[in-house]
Amino acid sequence: MAEYSEVNQRNVPRVAVVGVGIVSPLGIGIDETVSALREGRDCISPVNCFPVDHCRCKTAGQIPDGRLACPEALPLRQERLHRVARMTILALGEALGSAPAFQPELSVVGTTSGGMTYGEEYYRGLKGKQTSKRKAPSLIANYTPQKPIMDAQQAFGLSAPCQIIANACASGTNAIGHAFDCIRSGRYNQILTGGYDALSELVFVGFDSLQASTPERCRPFDQDRTGLVLGEGAAILLLENFDSAKARGAKILAELVGYGLSTDNHHLTQPNPSGSGPFQAMEGALKSAGLRPEKIDYINAHGTATPQNDATEGKAIVELFQGVAVSSTKGMMGHALGAAGAIEAVISILAIQNRFMPANINFRAGDAGLQLNIVANKSQPADLHTVLSNSFGFGGTNASVIFQATEP
Amino acid sequence: MSLAIAGMGWVTPLGNDLSGVWQRLINGETATVQSISSGLGPDYPVIHVPADQASVHPRLRRSSAISRFAVTAGLAAMEDAKLQPGAEAASRIAMIFAVSNGGVIYTKRFYDQIVDSGAQAASPLLFPETVFNAPASHMAAILGITGATYTLVGDGAVGILALGMAQDLMENEAFDHCLVIAAEEADWLLCDAYHQWRLLRLKPPIEPFGQPPRGTILSEGAGAVLLSRNGSIEVEKIALGSNFRKRSEAGDCLGKVLGELCNDETALIVSSANGTFIDSAERNAILKNCPKAQIYAMKPALGESLGASSLWQVICATQFLRSRSVPSELFFAKGNDVAAASKSTGQFRRAVVSVCGLSQQVAGVRLAIS
Repeated sequence: MAEYSEVNQRNVPRVAVVGVGIVSPLGIGIDETVSALREGRDCISPVNCFPVDHCRCKTAGQIPDGRLACPEALPLRQERLHRVARMTILALGEALGSAPAFQPELSVVGTTSGGMTYGEEYYRGLKGKQTSKRKAPSLIANYTPQKPIMDAQQAFGLSAPCQIIANACASGTNAIGHAFDCIRSGRYNQILTGGYDALSELVFVGFDSLQASTPERCRPFDQDRTGLVLGEGAAILLLENFDSAKARGAKILAELVGYGLSTDNHHLTQPNPSGSGPFQAMEGALKSAGLRPEKIDYINAHGTATPQNDATEGKAIVELFQGVAVSSTKGMMGHALGAAGAIEAVISILAIQNRFMPANINFRAGDAGLQLNIVANKSQPADLHTVLSNSFGFGGTNASVIFQATEP
Repeated sequence: MSLAIAGMGWVTPLGNDLSGVWQRLINGETATVQSISSGLGPDYPVIHVPADQASVHPRLRRSSAISRFAVTAGLAAMEDAKLQPGAEAASRIAMIFAVSNGGVIYTKRFYDQIVDSGAQAASPLLFPETVFNAPASHMAAILGITGATYTLVGDGAVGILALGMAQDLMENEAFDHCLVIAAEEADWLLCDAYHQWRLLRLKPPIEPFGQPPRGTILSEGAGAVLLSRNGSIEVEKIALGSNFRKRSEAGDCLGKVLGELCNDETALIVSSANGTFIDSAERNAILKNCPKAQIYAMKPALGESLGASSLWQVICATQFLRSRSVPSELFFAKGNDVAAASKSTGQFRRAVVSVCGLSQQVAGVRLAIS
């Protein structure tokens, strides 16, 4: 195990989280999300937005369109908005609700596919397979990955330059981590960050073709796990220089204290079985935070429930930590790809604030020889101070971030 | 912290040799416009990279053209900087891959299988290559980078946004270099989309700053810039701009960018003019902020390669500063009130890259030779 030392961070700008918003299959907004997390609610349902007759997997975590209505007062042509833009607008609106004066200098957000279903609709129109309700130029303009955050910014009168990180399933965590680094460098004061992704047929079939998704229940870290189920959603975090936030009297929800990342060159879609990628990312986050592993109270794992991911992530956790509580929340809501890291970052903050560890549902028994302390099936009350959240993706992208309760 | 360009590489429709392509641009050559067909609609003009200009690295045997372009340009930038790939160098390099449309050829093929034959027919070999960060993953594996790699998506301004991100990453002393690569591949589907969007011209040439704008022609390739903290070409300032809601607002947004970047010494602006609405936005921004600057637009010669174009512009600006020569402007509309570049431009020591993308993003960078 690597040696750690408590790094003196007094001269490094601290990073406050002053606003969060969340939209996922668990619910719209913080209150619904906390309620679902406490209950350990299974929010996976049969896919109803495109045909899955010829897929092995037929379920996903979905957000009903009827729940994605944006306030009519917003200055937008709402009929053109992709549903992932609506998710992002709702999440940003909630985040700004607790930080109304927030004026970001930069937006750094993660996604994998933006408004992909508009691209699908356009292509089906070309093939004569579908008569589109929308005209091609509108589909094309609203298909781009950057459009949802631009729409969301526009809805609230913001116009920060947008850096859209597409590091596959680690996108959201990489975005939060890069935003953290930017504020820590002293070059920025306020940054809007997060991630978004919506279900699409192309991506759903892609994971099905790789047999990465499961026809059964999603069982992260279970010895009989058979794969992931996809999800969707958006989450936004408003980050600010801690001293600046404190000086202006902002409500500080949590402190973002560490970020680590790594690139695993083993294979385009499979992690190195050694677990070196996740280990390096988590170790990097700890070093960045100046924390020893035993300071981590809980890990919100990537935990996709694919045989390879959970084995390598579990191995890395066991090597780096001793008995830390671990759960994956993907069994409840599915894997929201580029949004997953952002959603799980907000879940980590909610866990700290509400003093509980979310459940790893559908768990029966873990891998033989892998002594993970899984928060099995029921959420558990816990006085959490420091939480680590992991995200790993195709292309060998690995990222970890660490949140802490705000010091009084 | 200072930031400098240590090495560059590109894959363009005019070749992949840094000085060779620049000389061809100086000579006034233009890339060949071909016709691209599909059973789904009409033929469109397109500018392809010749097949022998991109890498055939063993790691890339299943990959799409975009990955081959990216790797070729990235390795060329390393070579230009005389930086040998290897574990020692890789541990001190961050990498950012910038892209607009990504692996559209494999994405179309994969989705076509779903639409035509059903989900059960979709190939698991294709899907991983459709992911935006597949080229970055290949490049990282070839160089042995195990640390920071990012893929950034956006419109034509994404290359400059990536330079801005690189500047932030270089604040970390763990890195000596940041390799920024931008790439794009051309396909009929993209041509059709831009045609439907009323941005495509159906026959050459691309006429910058023409009124009315007659449209652009898509091309493909990659650009790569290796950044370090010291070097003769300094990245003096990067302006990340903002987002315009309507096309009519693009000029104001770009004006703010040029207002940050232009000063009395600014000799040359390497323009993103491509024959579309962005030309008038750029024209207005230039006339307001730097009316004496001379303009070079490279897209009439190389085409509009979307994600890759802004790094091509950076490379052109650097080549201008290095060689003190600039290509003559091609197909510049008669009676234009912005000044086309001429040989006299070469005496200056600064150049500005101005980028207005087609999907709401603007950005720019100012370079200087020491």
